[in-house]
Amino acid sequence: MLLLPEEKAALSLRELYSSFGYKFYRMSRFEEYDFYADKKDFLISKSVLTFTDINGRLMALRPDVTLSIIRHVKDTDLISKFFYDEKVYRVPKNAKSFREIPQTGIEYIGKLSVDGLSEVIELAMLSLKKIADGRKYILDVADAGMISKLLEDFRDSHKRSEILKCLSGKNIHGLKSLNAPEKLIRLAELGGNIDKDINELDGSLTVSVLKNLKNYHNEMRIDFSAVSNLNYYNGIVFRGFIQGIPESILSGGQYDNMMSMMGHKNAGAAGFAVYLGLMERIS
Amino acid sequence: MINIALPKGRLGEKVYRLFESSGYEFPGILENSRKLVFVNEALNMRCFWVKPFDVPVYVERGTADIGAAGKDILMERNPDVYELLDLKAGICRMSAASLNGFVDDNEKTLRVATEFPNIAKNYYSGLGRDIDIIELRGSLELAPVLGLSDVIVDIVETGTTLRENNLTVISDIAELSARLIANKSAYKFKNDEINEIIRRLGKNVNKIN
Repeated sequence: MLLLPEEKAALSLRELYSSFGYKFYRMSRFEEYDFYADKKDFLISKSVLTFTDINGRLMALRPDVTLSIIRHVKDTDLISKFFYDEKVYRVPKNAKSFREIPQTGIEYIGKLSVDGLSEVIELAMLSLKKIADGRKYILDVADAGMISKLLEDFRDSHKRSEILKCLSGKNIHGLKSLNAPEKLIRLAELGGNIDKDINELDGSLTVSVLKNLKNYHNEMRIDFSAVSNLNYYNGIVFRGFIQGIPESILSGGQYDNMMSMMGHKNAGAAGFAVYLGLMERIS
Repeated sequence: MINIALPKGRLGEKVYRLFESSGYEFPGILENSRKLVFVNEALNMRCFWVKPFDVPVYVERGTADIGAAGKDILMERNPDVYELLDLKAGICRMSAASLNGFVDDNEKTLRVATEFPNIAKNYYSGLGRDIDIIELRGSLELAPVLGLSDVIVDIVETGTTLRENNLTVISDIAELSARLIANKSAYKFKNDEINEIIRRLGKNVNKIN
């Protein structure tokens, strides 16, 4: 077989997504820089690789796929389902230069129902299963909206980001010394039996989605260290891990916030990305 | 197999004693030799000494499942790991200090000498103070004495070195001690083993110091 493991995985993911009715989305490698300039809060890496086009316009090599896809969606009353298999250009954390990073994933855009969101999470589980190829895998699920709400009264952005850092590091002693809300500390401690932990979640969409996915509970945990960018995500968020790969290989969530920032006021959207480049790190 | 990265040096030895008293022994590990990797087959654990500053790297990249690192190093490197337990060893402070009598009048850019540029940057940007970072590799007390910097941001234990050089702490930035960290993926798949280690260490942390 001439295909590398990550190429094989990419093909089987494409097959999976199209069998669920997702349409392949092909896009240009670059966009005008202006498009990203005012959306820095939504980008994982703040650095954007730019060059000047022959007509003098400043262009950017795409640092993110989701923004480009949303931009091309016109009608959010209908449900649009896309998958992509692209390269993005970012400076990974602690790296000293840009890297080309392969990214495969889906976007579900339009009115979000329990069924729609459940489908996204189900596809995340099926993607992990395919890539794991017999290894163990786990999807951490949390609700970013609950955290935003709990931090509403924290106006001090420095302290807010300290609390979020402790949350992502399961740093309970740190949260206590920052006087984080009791409820937030309880959420940070979750990560055991999902059917017990689910009682800590508010009667949100996330609860209905999780109840809808009982068949997958063995490989799912409620774990609030999955909460990352609160500017980007507003509801369910998740992160997938595969045994033998030292970092999360899949991440995603519900991002209505970004939809409204892009001019779609009452629209919902959810999606995830799989970083197949990490497959070469399997030990 | 659980892989553990310990920081070479005094702090690491203290942390190792905590492991030992919690039932995790690696015979010969404290003897003076050049050996760096120690295996305990019965426990199915492997322990290795690495440079203190490198512990978070080994853990973040999964070479070590868990490790012990000073909070100073965690604040400086900001690794994507779980910080699961305060080991309460090597308790000290990260502080800003200046020559006795120095007053920051905000008229000039504050020159800050430090071994921890990210900690200094974060602290002063939180205050909205414009600073010029001078990164040094030790003997920081010298910088204000010779006029290289206005203040230093450094680890303060007893404060004796500061006093002997006519320096004084002007503000405390953070409480420091060794922390137990874990690789995020390893913590998912070796959850029971790692939680058992934390439970046992946690019972002993207050006894050790």
